[in-house]
Amino acid sequence: MSMIERPYYSDYSSAPIQHQFSPYADNGGSVVAIAGDDFAVIAADTRLSAGFSIYTREQNKLFPLSDGTILGCAGCWCDTLTLTRILKSRMQMYQHEHNKTMSTTACAQMLSTLLYYKRFFPYYISNVMVGFDTEGKGCVYSYDPIGHCEKTNYKAGGSAGALLQPLLDNQIAHTNLDKVPKEPLTLEKALALLKDVFISAAERDIYTGDKVLINIITKDGIKEEAFDLRKD
Amino acid sequence: MSLAEICGLQDFDTFKSRNVYKNDLDSFCTNFNHNMQLGVPPFSNPAENLSRFTKDEMGREIKIKFDHGTTTLGFKYQGGIVLAVDSRATGGQFIGSQTMKKIVEINKYLLGTLAGGAADCVYWDRVLAKQCRMYELRNRERISVAAASKLMTNMIYNYKGMGLSIGMMIAGWDKRGPQLYYVDSEGLRTPGNVFSVGSGSIYAFGVLDSGYRWDLTDEEAYNLGRRAIYHATHRDAYSGGIVRVYHMKETGWEHIDNNDCNDLHYKYQEEKKVREEQGDA
Amino acid sequence: MFDPMGAPPALWHNGPTPGGFYNFPAIQTRPSEPITHSKSPVTTATSVIALAYDKGVVIAGDLLASYGSLARYKNCPRILKVNENILLGASGDYADFQYIKSFIEQKIIDEECIGDNIKLKPKSLYCWLTRVMYQRRSKFDPFWNNIIVAGIQDGEPFLGQVDKLGTAYTDRAICTGYAAHIVLPIIRDFLDKNPNPTQAEAKALVLKCMEVLYYRDARSFSKFQIGIMDKEAGSSIEGPLTCEENWEIALVAKN
Repeated sequence: MSMIERPYYSDYSSAPIQHQFSPYADNGGSVVAIAGDDFAVIAADTRLSAGFSIYTREQNKLFPLSDGTILGCAGCWCDTLTLTRILKSRMQMYQHEHNKTMSTTACAQMLSTLLYYKRFFPYYISNVMVGFDTEGKGCVYSYDPIGHCEKTNYKAGGSAGALLQPLLDNQIAHTNLDKVPKEPLTLEKALALLKDVFISAAERDIYTGDKVLINIITKDGIKEEAFDLRKD
Repeated sequence: MSLAEICGLQDFDTFKSRNVYKNDLDSFCTNFNHNMQLGVPPFSNPAENLSRFTKDEMGREIKIKFDHGTTTLGFKYQGGIVLAVDSRATGGQFIGSQTMKKIVEINKYLLGTLAGGAADCVYWDRVLAKQCRMYELRNRERISVAAASKLMTNMIYNYKGMGLSIGMMIAGWDKRGPQLYYVDSEGLRTPGNVFSVGSGSIYAFGVLDSGYRWDLTDEEAYNLGRRAIYHATHRDAYSGGIVRVYHMKETGWEHIDNNDCNDLHYKYQEEKKVREEQGDA
Repeated sequence: MFDPMGAPPALWHNGPTPGGFYNFPAIQTRPSEPITHSKSPVTTATSVIALAYDKGVVIAGDLLASYGSLARYKNCPRILKVNENILLGASGDYADFQYIKSFIEQKIIDEECIGDNIKLKPKSLYCWLTRVMYQRRSKFDPFWNNIIVAGIQDGEPFLGQVDKLGTAYTDRAICTGYAAHIVLPIIRDFLDKNPNPTQAEAKALVLKCMEVLYYRDARSFSKFQIGIMDKEAGSSIEGPLTCEENWEIALVAKN
């Protein structure tokens, strides 16, 4: 019947196997971001995998672009490295040209334009950006691979994105729940939720695990936290 | 002076001619300065050939799914133009968002609707917004809707066949009154009175055509748009979320309201029941 | 109007048909082979093993270059001393490695000629290689290699890997190729028990790993090189060394 697929070791070819070069790799990983009135948190797991092998268990996937803006990336790692490097240098150029730091809203638009530039050979990345909007409230920007951007209050992206988004809908937005009282989200609640969703993700998604790094943005700046996930 | 200069090494080919990667930064953001210049892929015919990279070498599927928008409609009537849209964005079978903005506010007198690839529409609308503003500054008057839509279709036409997916309406008010144009990624551009675009459009058209008259009142027009989108969301799985209604007036556009499809469903059901009871009586 | 599957016709070309939706690559067509660059490695070298210890790094790779399943060239060194700060090891296509090597050597010569006594650091080379590899993959003409950059920067040992796409990461122990599957678990296990090995321990572990690799990897070879960079003792590349072979077990093993 069907051929059993075996893993391909890029530098170990046993015969002149005909394989096709693929410019993309799926290196897994999940990113979750939640924003409240006076804070924004973003978290990503630290597993970097390729197929069945785990490259490293300690890869930070959160990129602080400024004191008030953080980008989280999951997907093709080589694209992520390139994109974040360009973003960082553009941030620097902006700083030198205007003598001020780029706002989160401007960063969000810039990322969208950068992604769309590669419309016909896209970056394979789920991007989630957090920061403060023009009114000073926490905000989350989520992207599709070619730069469609939407401003929201919470987003799960990456390999467990489809798994976690409904959970956040239920827990944060209380979507279609009439009887739940609407209360403003606190940082404590957001952090507790974040930990819960990642524990659930590690349970059901093989590409998410090891450890979670959390970055918290408040008026006082960025604070980092970490907690361990299942290592299997 | 260093040894390099004394030896004349700067004239020597030290692989520098091959160092094209030195300009990475410029070459990855060309569209910052030249908005219409997108990156060229390293293969021909991206619409077809990109499909060859749906797997990475480990055999894992590469799911590059773009957000898509679906049902939009717009019509002219005696009071101007009404635009109504749903708010669901789908990436493959997954609902990426239930709150997407499918009406892009290009400026006070121009609105664009969004069906097809979301990023495609939003990006080119933004480029158009810039061009319209430039026109205003140069000519001290607002651009006509005809001209704006033509700018749009010309830009898109450059990328015809490369996989752009755009079906948009451009609605506006200029010297000649309300104007409604349809523009798509094939390069088609046409003026008209009634349009509906996207996968739910066939359902929307059904409602729209049966209720459409030139002399609708404003309230009737909003209701017609709302109802048409609601029926499309009900029958088309790719449409849903919130129904947004905009009105283009002589004084510029106005956002009328947003209604959750779920609420509309029960509202219409209630109305239907009342009508039936009255019919019985 | 609707076909038997129930999918309505396209509303506009290139756009999403309702139901039969447009997934990223629009149309599944027979490829017309638009890319003509090299798409597979020819003469290949197998795994490289690298490990950081408290005061430096150890990196090892054998001397064989295979041509498919043929053990073709038996004296192909691929552990390279770039300068006083950096050791480099590569697996994958040997020709591509030689090309990259000539690039790097030229960089070092240029640097010497400038004469400002600034020496390339491992993180710089690692970053530069990432850009080179990514650029080549973006042109669909990749260098078919996995490269490990090892060295000491600011008194800290550094290890980083770059693959042919430009995927890059750093870790305390890195293996490429087959070793990533059979040797890396041994090293990780060792590091769990002994988080700060000495040079002697690290070297002994790498030698042991080369032996394991030689017994298990059909494309490996008994002769190998080992490069060591130490904070105090400086760097050296030793070799060719030879694995201690013992095939007695082969007589015992039946079937």
